[in-house]
Amino acid sequence: MRQWHSGDGWHIDVRGSPPPQPLVAILKLVRSMRDDTPIVVHHDRDPVMLYPELAELGWEAQRIESPEGEFRLLLRRCP
Amino acid sequence: MSVSPAGAFLGGAKGRLLPASIPLRFFAAAALFHVLAWLALAAGAALWPAAPGALGWPLAALHLVTLGVLGMTALGAGAQLLPVATRQPAPGHRLLAAIWWLYTAGVAVLALGMGLARPPLLAAGAAAVAIAFAAWAVLMVRNLRGARGMPGVVAHGWAALVSLAVVLATALSLAGTWLGLAAAPPREITLALHLVFAPYGFMGMLALGLSYILVPMFALSDSPTDREQLTSFALAAAALVLAGVAAFGVAPAALRWAALLAGGAAVALHLRLMLRALRTGMRRELGRSFTLVKIGWAGLAASLVLALGLVLDLPVPRLATWFGLALIGVWLLSFLAGMLQRIVPFLAAMHAGGGGRRGLTPSALTREGALAAHFWCHLAALALLALAIALDNAWAALAGALAGAAGALALALFCATVLRRMQLRRN
Repeated sequence: MRQWHSGDGWHIDVRGSPPPQPLVAILKLVRSMRDDTPIVVHHDRDPVMLYPELAELGWEAQRIESPEGEFRLLLRRCP
Repeated sequence: MSVSPAGAFLGGAKGRLLPASIPLRFFAAAALFHVLAWLALAAGAALWPAAPGALGWPLAALHLVTLGVLGMTALGAGAQLLPVATRQPAPGHRLLAAIWWLYTAGVAVLALGMGLARPPLLAAGAAAVAIAFAAWAVLMVRNLRGARGMPGVVAHGWAALVSLAVVLATALSLAGTWLGLAAAPPREITLALHLVFAPYGFMGMLALGLSYILVPMFALSDSPTDREQLTSFALAAAALVLAGVAAFGVAPAALRWAALLAGGAAVALHLRLMLRALRTGMRRELGRSFTLVKIGWAGLAASLVLALGLVLDLPVPRLATWFGLALIGVWLLSFLAGMLQRIVPFLAAMHAGGGGRRGLTPSALTREGALAAHFWCHLAALALLALAIALDNAWAALAGALAGAAGALALALFCATVLRRMQLRRN
């Protein structure tokens, strides 16, 4: 798992990790955010367990275009 | 950056996410059987503390709990959670729906057969339950065979399925003896195998294995390492094998001692891993649901201590009934009720989300008052049943059963509220 920052926000790559490690890593990053910077998640599957947890924190997710074999999400704080 | 609607999530998730109606129907039926189990115990309260194993309502109550509540939840949770762990597609939902119908009817008929002391009904119910379990096991075998990752959870899943095979074989043999058929092997061997492999083998292995996903997921903590999970698993599996061999009369005292040592070590390690996950998790406040889970863990440890008393043949009145209360009432029922209170709103929120709207939170679906009522009634029921065993008092057993029924009604109300709120959101 790795994290980096680029022009479109923070990125976290959780590909290859078994559940629930991606969930925990993504939520750790979300909880650490102090502003409205979006987060891009690079996953190898649809993280079905993530969405209720994100909603509890006041965040939402949208699937965005991704290369073949990757499931990419954009996470944003709800307005 | 182009985006697609949030609703695409659940569409894309369909590979591993069953339709909401599948797992939730198993959980709803478990909530209903929970009420019926306590009512059956109330009907048989006069017989329970002294003779819990004879045909009658206490035996029906036991099987309404083990099959109706624990087994029903295991079928639903296993079908939904194992694909997540193994990264495999979810099993066919039409077959799961058929399994649910057969299993639900089978449990009801079997419990009636036990309660009314009608062996043909009992045998018919047992046959339906066995067929439903076998069909479910085939789906799970397919899933586990393609598993990728999570070797600890997968190993527990295999052990649970092997144990299920033993449980079904012994259950059918025992049902046959009620019909007057000769048991092969003898009834005492079959019964000993059934009493070990049903709670500790099938339910226990599933509970321990799925905890490696569920507890870190709810506590938001790191999972125990594969090595730690597999060490606990190996000890638990060794305990089952030793107890199984002992049931055939091979050095029974020594092997039961060894089984308890191995089982005790497995449980000690498992609980250490679970408590570490809770201690290091981002979510510290897990509420009453995890108090029930912790009570369940205490019941698991207590069941092994009481089993040691049975092996040593200690002169404690109604020791087998104490053991049964710790094993089924305190461990499995408390643990499962706690987990259900987390899983049901979580699953419902997953299914209610999407459609381009902000996701629904699990906390918005829950009904705290009902959960509080269940919690206190459940504890009162366990305490009153303990008093009933200590005093061999049917009135205390009746009071315990009625308290349990009140708690079960509250839990059923909670489940109904979650489902209704999910439906309102989806509509």
